[in-house]
Amino acid sequence: MTGSNFSAYRQWAETLLTEKPRYSVVIPAYNEEWRIVPTIGAIASHMSGLGEPWEMIVADDGSTDTTVELVEELGLVNLNLLIAEQNGGKGSAVRRGIFQARGDVILFADADQSTPIEQFGDLLAKIDEGFDVVVGSRAADGADVANKSGARKIFSYGLSAIVNTIFRIPVSDTQCGFKMFTADAADLLFRRQVVDEFSFDLEILFLAGKFDLRTTEVPVAWIDAPGSKVDAAKVAIEFLRDLAIIRWNDFRGLYANDNHTPPSPESSHEATSGRQAA
Amino acid sequence: MHITKSASELQLHGRFDAHEIQLFRSRLEEAILSSPNVRVDLQDVEFVDSTALAELVRGMKHCREAGGDLVLVSPSDPVRIILELTKLDAAFIID
Repeated sequence: MTGSNFSAYRQWAETLLTEKPRYSVVIPAYNEEWRIVPTIGAIASHMSGLGEPWEMIVADDGSTDTTVELVEELGLVNLNLLIAEQNGGKGSAVRRGIFQARGDVILFADADQSTPIEQFGDLLAKIDEGFDVVVGSRAADGADVANKSGARKIFSYGLSAIVNTIFRIPVSDTQCGFKMFTADAADLLFRRQVVDEFSFDLEILFLAGKFDLRTTEVPVAWIDAPGSKVDAAKVAIEFLRDLAIIRWNDFRGLYANDNHTPPSPESSHEATSGRQAA
Repeated sequence: MHITKSASELQLHGRFDAHEIQLFRSRLEEAILSSPNVRVDLQDVEFVDSTALAELVRGMKHCREAGGDLVLVSPSDPVRIILELTKLDAAFIID
């Protein structure tokens, strides 16, 4: 990043966009007071250097620490902070963020910067090729995974095997918190998403397959960030439960194009107050 | 991350996070033994997390207690922005 790109960051930080953003970056955040500010800084630095209008959306998930106050105090005018009154699950936070996103291309990225934002361009290249959904993958050939514990490796392998067997989803890593969507694909998928917990990614990718969206994965570098909130045993149980729920929802026709009643963005925001951090 | 060391300057490369704290701390202690004025080159650092920022503050205090100071040299733009957002740019000498 050059000095002129630092100027671009300053411009982004201080001048409200007057045009529609090309990119939206959605960051779900639950009790991230220890990690959120460096992540915002890293993302703002990289994205501002791309030279396209972009916005950041931090979707709080009912944090009980100082996450909200910290983000507000940054005063970044193109950062839209969505505040939730209570914890609703990562899937609900991402959905609220997606519904607020105005960009043509939407990335959701975890708050721990475990997948460095510098890989944004790798996923974007696939969108430009015509894909609707692009998934950062820690399991695809070429991925570079650092500091991942043995338990998490086994957990990931097991999930992948189950998912591929039951759902035939054509990606090897459904859970990486670095996924990109066209605006149309995001709208179609997240209006049908009902799983609010850890497995919401799986549901989204299942729906992408169901609606014949062009989906692909891109190998990413991934660093297991200290302080991970993933409890592998608890998550495994929830994941298996959610697999059954997704299958049952599909069997009942809940996801069908014609007879589905999507959750309205407004109702999803009842417990939130979106506002500019200022 | 890896660190290259010369006299009283540490050059950091890559990602500086909690996984790298012990390495940084040991290199810093060695440097302080040579001189309490330590320069930490951040030109090639892509990301610093909160733990690393706290470690830099700890290192700065340690240098000052030893009669010197810790200077951050040429922070990359992501690091510069993170220092600004955390208001730590006012706490360090940045060269």
